[in-house]
Amino acid sequence: MTFRTLLLAATTALATATISVSAQAQTEIVWGEGTPKGLDPHVVYDVPMQLYMLNAYDSLYRYIGNPPELSNWLAASHTVSEDGLTWEFTLKPGITFTDGSPMTSEDVVYSFQRLLEIGKGPSGAFKPVLKPENVSAVDELTTRFVLDKPYAPFLSTMPLVAILNKDVVQAHETDGDMGAAWLSTHQAGSGSYILDEATYKPLENADFNRNVDHFYGWDDNANPVDVVHVPTFTETSTRVLALLRGDTDATDGYLPTDQVERIKAADGVRVQSDESMRIMLIRMNNQKPPFDNVNFRRCVSYAFNYDGFNEVVLGGLVKRNVGPLPSNLWGVDESVEGYSYDLDKAQEFCDLAREEGADIDRKIEIKILSGLDQTTQAAQVMQQGLDELGLNVEVVGDTWANLATSTGTVESTPDMWVHWVSTYFVDPENWIGQMYSSQFNGTWKASSWYVNPHVDDLLQQARDVTDQAEREVLYKEAYRTIVDEAADVWIYNTVALRGLSDRLDGFKFSPVGSGADFRWLSVKE
Amino acid sequence: MLLFLIRRLLLIIPVLFGLLLLTFFMLRLGGNDPAAIMAGDNATPEMIARIREELGLNQPLVVQFWDYFLSVLRGDFGVSLFSQRPVSEDILDKLPATLELTLVALVIATVLGILLGTLAGVWRNSIFDHTVRIVSVAGLATASFWFAIMLQLVFAMGFEILPLRGRLPTGMAPPPDITGMYIFDSLVTGHFATMWQAVLHIIMPAVTISLGGVATVARFTRSAVVASLQSEYANYEQAVGYPRRRVVFPYVLRNSLVTPVTQVGLLFGGFISNAVAVEAVFDWPGLGSYLVQAIFTSDYQVVLAVTLVIGAIYGVVNILVDMTQGLLDPRVAEKM
Repeated sequence: MTFRTLLLAATTALATATISVSAQAQTEIVWGEGTPKGLDPHVVYDVPMQLYMLNAYDSLYRYIGNPPELSNWLAASHTVSEDGLTWEFTLKPGITFTDGSPMTSEDVVYSFQRLLEIGKGPSGAFKPVLKPENVSAVDELTTRFVLDKPYAPFLSTMPLVAILNKDVVQAHETDGDMGAAWLSTHQAGSGSYILDEATYKPLENADFNRNVDHFYGWDDNANPVDVVHVPTFTETSTRVLALLRGDTDATDGYLPTDQVERIKAADGVRVQSDESMRIMLIRMNNQKPPFDNVNFRRCVSYAFNYDGFNEVVLGGLVKRNVGPLPSNLWGVDESVEGYSYDLDKAQEFCDLAREEGADIDRKIEIKILSGLDQTTQAAQVMQQGLDELGLNVEVVGDTWANLATSTGTVESTPDMWVHWVSTYFVDPENWIGQMYSSQFNGTWKASSWYVNPHVDDLLQQARDVTDQAEREVLYKEAYRTIVDEAADVWIYNTVALRGLSDRLDGFKFSPVGSGADFRWLSVKE
Repeated sequence: MLLFLIRRLLLIIPVLFGLLLLTFFMLRLGGNDPAAIMAGDNATPEMIARIREELGLNQPLVVQFWDYFLSVLRGDFGVSLFSQRPVSEDILDKLPATLELTLVALVIATVLGILLGTLAGVWRNSIFDHTVRIVSVAGLATASFWFAIMLQLVFAMGFEILPLRGRLPTGMAPPPDITGMYIFDSLVTGHFATMWQAVLHIIMPAVTISLGGVATVARFTRSAVVASLQSEYANYEQAVGYPRRRVVFPYVLRNSLVTPVTQVGLLFGGFISNAVAVEAVFDWPGLGSYLVQAIFTSDYQVVLAVTLVIGAIYGVVNILVDMTQGLLDPRVAEKM
């Protein structure tokens, strides 16, 4: 075979491959975002799991749209007692699982009990207030939850819990694992899409077929997608090239700045941008000297070039966010201006800190997340600012796993580290509540080790009262105090940037899952 | 030779034990602790402590190692902390992809390297020789992930003659599972369209991985050929009028291959570690991608098991290389 015939054969084969793809084009798409490492929604809970949960499972309530609206999903309604302790949720009638069996309150009870007993994944949002035995079935459709103490964010955490098919999961239990081993590669839910188990290979590929019998119905989508292929992409550059080639119809929602320009310049693809609720910040270990000195923290906060980073390094594709809540969420005190890049002020505060005896000349480490370039860039901008003040800063790489673990004690928590806090549930509790209540100290979210009894009180009250207007007042005060005390360096709120093929319609963004909810999508004729 | 084989196979055992010991303590003393991320993004400190206890992470390291070692002896590599799947199952799933990739890369490196090296040695100091030298030094110096992206830009995006990523087009079913190596399986079961796609998909990643190997093999072959050509037997053969082609093949070549063959064994290990970066760029679902994911999530059971498997492969390949040397050089065989 000569080189020419080889080339010819290659081109022909490729052409046939392309034709076969476009012939199926009406109802098949490729979604280039990947599946989580394990598929049990009560064990794994991270950003990739949101994609899987939105499509393969349903929850009592669901966030839809942007700003996210907490909408009835499996639940038709709910009631809450005067004291805020007893909640009752009633399922919509006639809901079936993908195996055709009906969903009842027994399944809801089982799902919550299983989540709490496994004690992983999203259970952290419920553990402090709910015991497994306090979830019970009132009748076939109604489930009762009795909380240990009032917890206002309870309703907004409902979308965290996938409702499983009790009988199916129980049939696959081995050694008291509550079906976790089986569920890590199988689906037992009611979702809009059904995992094609034969095509599922962890970290490689998963295909999803539309569940035509889904309880929500398909009336609002005339041309829904029948099959969604979800291959795993490791590298951003490959993912973007695949979009440009037509190998995938969507990238993930975290396009870096340079790739945005590349997609904008190409034909047949577009960049979808939506303001999300995912804040980037540089943590400071408030209990480790010199960061225990409030004036030193203020000095650091004035030494970060916010505009330079947001507007130049990130090309203006983010929104400045001055405090510990996404600026598009309620609870933010808009009168707070936050910190700006002002080296003179920084110098003043550093001088003050030095006078107060803070050892600000010791070497400071900023830990970054390996593989996530933006954390490096942010750390370097921070380093540059502090360098101007004559401070000694070192940037050190580490993995997410190590850093999350290191936040278990004050001593092992880094001086500073860079990360994001995404939306898991849409309530100030998800950010300010879990980040600055001292009861959460020892988790990665609360890794500034901030302790202020007054703020603790405010945040606890905000959990106790159910009235949003009242809660808002409390959050605003906590917000003001935490910003004034410069607990961390808050940088921006994310604008989700996702590359999409022009043939896709109906993309509906929500900060939970970043728009990876396939049921709203359709393919243009 | 059989005795040699048995002796060498037995010697692998302490090597693997040492590897396990080192990796285990390096991982664990480095503060590697998956409890915090297993507990999830909304965890409470109590949940993290409970998971640590469940996993036995609060026991002395020596006890943990001993428990782990005993279970490995039983062939139990544990369960991946995140996917909840048995690690051995995952490895059996991912290993064939990596083996297929490295084997193809090895073939490319050996054939191309020996060919280029021999020609360069025969035409010593010609333009061809200089070109091979420049190209092979460049090949050794090139970062593989950069080269991988360049290949993608040229052949997948520019000329559009090769696929960008993966082992097969999205949506194409893999061939019936025999070895898990798609080219072989589809050939044996007669799925020729699948085989053709598998070949097209493997070209760029295999070439990327083989790049450094081609260079190494070519350099070693060339110097061995040059040395052999200057030896007395080669001079004699030329003096009695053997055609030059005949002198080189088989006599000089056979005598020159011992060094490059040793290299091939070493290359295999290098290729597998190289595969980590290359698999990521091409989304090749092999051990490399699996290992990287495990490192990022502190899934230490997986890291240990993969290290052990790679160590075992490395050991076996080295034995094979020694035996090949015996076949090439009877003097070596006598000592076995």
